[in-house]
Amino acid sequence: MTTPTLGSILLGTADPDRLRDWYAAALAPGDAGEGFTEVTPTMFAGTFGDTSLLIDGRSDVAGTNPEPGRVVLNFHVDDARAVVEHLESLGVTWLVELEEREGGLFGTLVDPDGNYVQIIQLGQAPP
Amino acid sequence: MVADPPVPEVTAGVRRRARLLAITLESRAPDRAAAWYRQALGLSEADPLLTSGGVELRFTLGTTDAPNAAEPARIVLNLHVDDIRAAEARLVALESVWVRELERTRWGIIGTVLDFDGNYVQIVEPAPDSPPCLQRKEESR
Repeated sequence: MTTPTLGSILLGTADPDRLRDWYAAALAPGDAGEGFTEVTPTMFAGTFGDTSLLIDGRSDVAGTNPEPGRVVLNFHVDDARAVVEHLESLGVTWLVELEEREGGLFGTLVDPDGNYVQIIQLGQAPP
Repeated sequence: MVADPPVPEVTAGVRRRARLLAITLESRAPDRAAAWYRQALGLSEADPLLTSGGVELRFTLGTTDAPNAAEPARIVLNLHVDDIRAAEARLVALESVWVRELERTRWGIIGTVLDFDGNYVQIVEPAPDSPPCLQRKEESR
C-alpha cells in the first residue's frame, strides 16, 4: 500500500467566483497557467504542481476567515520578485512583504477571503 | 558553426506559475499534531520529512488554545488513498472523531475526520470516472 497523497486542498468560501478569479490571476494554476476548471457551478479546481486547489462555495463560512493564521498555503515559485511585481499590479494585500531569510525569499499575502498565502523562492542568492 | 538554439518564449502565466509544496498548520501542540499525521498517513518516525505526496506538512505553535477550528469547512485537506479501508483502520486506531463516516459519493468513497487540532481531513478513494483533478496522483517523492 502506498502513502496517501494530499490530492487537494479545499478552500471553503462564501464567494467562489471571487476566490477563483483571484488565484487564477495571482498564481496561474495549471501546467501552462490555463486556470481553473469547473467541477460544479460552485466548485472549481486548479492544479499547483502535484496537488490541486479546490474552491468550494459554501454557506457555512463567512466572507472573511476568522482564523487566518491557522493554515498557511506555501507556494513555491521560480522568480519571487517577478511574482511579487505581478501581484502588486493586482493590488494585493501583504501581511509580510518579500524578504530574504535563510534559504531564500519569503513573502506572505492575504487572499480575498483573508487566508494567508506564502510565496517562497528557495536558494535565492543575495543580489 | 551551429546556431544558438532559439530561446523559448516564457509566457507570463508560466513565469509566475506556482507549486503548492507545503501547508503550515498552526497547532496547540505541534509535535503531537505531527505525530497524528504520521500515524494517519502510515509514515514511520524514521521518515525525515512529513509529506503527503508532493506536499510537506509543517506545524507551528498556535496562538490559541481553542480545541477546534471556528470554521472547519474553511480549509479541508483531502488525502487520496488507494485503500480506504486501510486508511480508515489507521484513523480508528488513532481514535479519531468522525465527522462523516465513509460513504460512496459521485467522487468516490469519502470519509471526514478531525485532526489533532480539529481541522477537517478527508480520506478519499477516488471513483474511476471522477474528474482528473480529483484522481489520485502518483507520489512524486
